[in-house]
Amino acid sequence: MSENENDLDESWDDDGDEDEAEDTAEAEAGGDASPGEPTEATDADGAKRRERRPRRPEYVPEDEHERRALEFVRDVVREMGMDCRVKARRPDAESADREVVIEVVGNDAARVIGKKGQVLQALQFLTHRAINRPGQERRHVLVDAEGYRSRRDSSLATMAKRLGKQSVDEGKIITFEPMSPRDRRVVHLALAKFEGVVTRSEGEGDDRRVQIIPVRRTPS
Amino acid sequence: MALRDLVLTIARALVDEPEAVAVHERERNGEQILELEVARADIGKVIGKDGRTAQSIRTVLIAASQKAGRRVHLDIVD
Repeated sequence: MSENENDLDESWDDDGDEDEAEDTAEAEAGGDASPGEPTEATDADGAKRRERRPRRPEYVPEDEHERRALEFVRDVVREMGMDCRVKARRPDAESADREVVIEVVGNDAARVIGKKGQVLQALQFLTHRAINRPGQERRHVLVDAEGYRSRRDSSLATMAKRLGKQSVDEGKIITFEPMSPRDRRVVHLALAKFEGVVTRSEGEGDDRRVQIIPVRRTPS
Repeated sequence: MALRDLVLTIARALVDEPEAVAVHERERNGEQILELEVARADIGKVIGKDGRTAQSIRTVLIAASQKAGRRVHLDIVD
C-alpha cells in the first residue's frame, strides 16, 4: 500500500534543462559568485572567470545514502574500464521518499546501459544492496545513464495512464506483464492520483504484476 | 588485474566482513576464471534471493570483459 502514497507522476522527464536555465539566468543577473571567487575582480577578469565556471554546478550528495551510492557506482564504473563520468542528481522535491539518483554520462554509456538496459538494471540492483544495510533507513535507488531510465519511466507512466483510462472506460481490471519492483512502482505512482482506479501488485517474485482496478466513485 | 578488482569492489560493498573477501584468478582455455570467496555468513549476500545478486555481479562483469575484449567466468566458492 505504501507504494501508492507518493505521487511521482511524470517528474522523471526532468533532464536537467530547467536547472541549467535557472543557473544561466542567475549568472546573467550577476548574483552568485562561486565560493572563493574574488569579488573585487576587474570587469575583464570577472568575465573571463565566469566563462571558465562550470555552467551547472554539480550536485553534491547531502546524506550518507547518496554519498555511498555515488562512491559505489563511481568505483564500479571506473573498474569496469568505462570511459564515463558518474554524478549524483538532486533528489526530486516532489518525491516524498527522496529516491537516490545516480547518473552515468560519457562515451561508454551504451555499454553501461547494456542490451535492454540489463547492465544498468544490474548496477542499480547492486547499488541498492550496497547502500541499504539491515537496521537502517531504506532508500529507493535509481541508476541512470544518459537519461535512459528517465525516458523509460516517463513512457511507462504515460502508458499506465492510458491503460488507467481504458480501465475506467471499460470497467475492467487491466493486468500488466511481470515487471521489476521499480517499474511496478513507477506504475503505482503514475496512477496514485488517477481518478476512478486503484492499483495493486499480484503474484510472487518474477511473476509479480501490477493490476489496474476500476473503482466506483460517488460522482462529484 | 582490473576485472578481479571489479569483483572485489562489488563484493566488499555487499558483505558484512569486507576484509574476508578474496578473489582468486585462474586461466582455462583462454578464459579468465575468477573465484569469489567471502566469509561463510556472507555467502547469501553475494548470491541473493534466487541468485539475483550473483546474476547482477556477472552481468556487470561481462559488460566490463566485453569492453576489455576478454572472456571471463565468475565462480562463487563456498
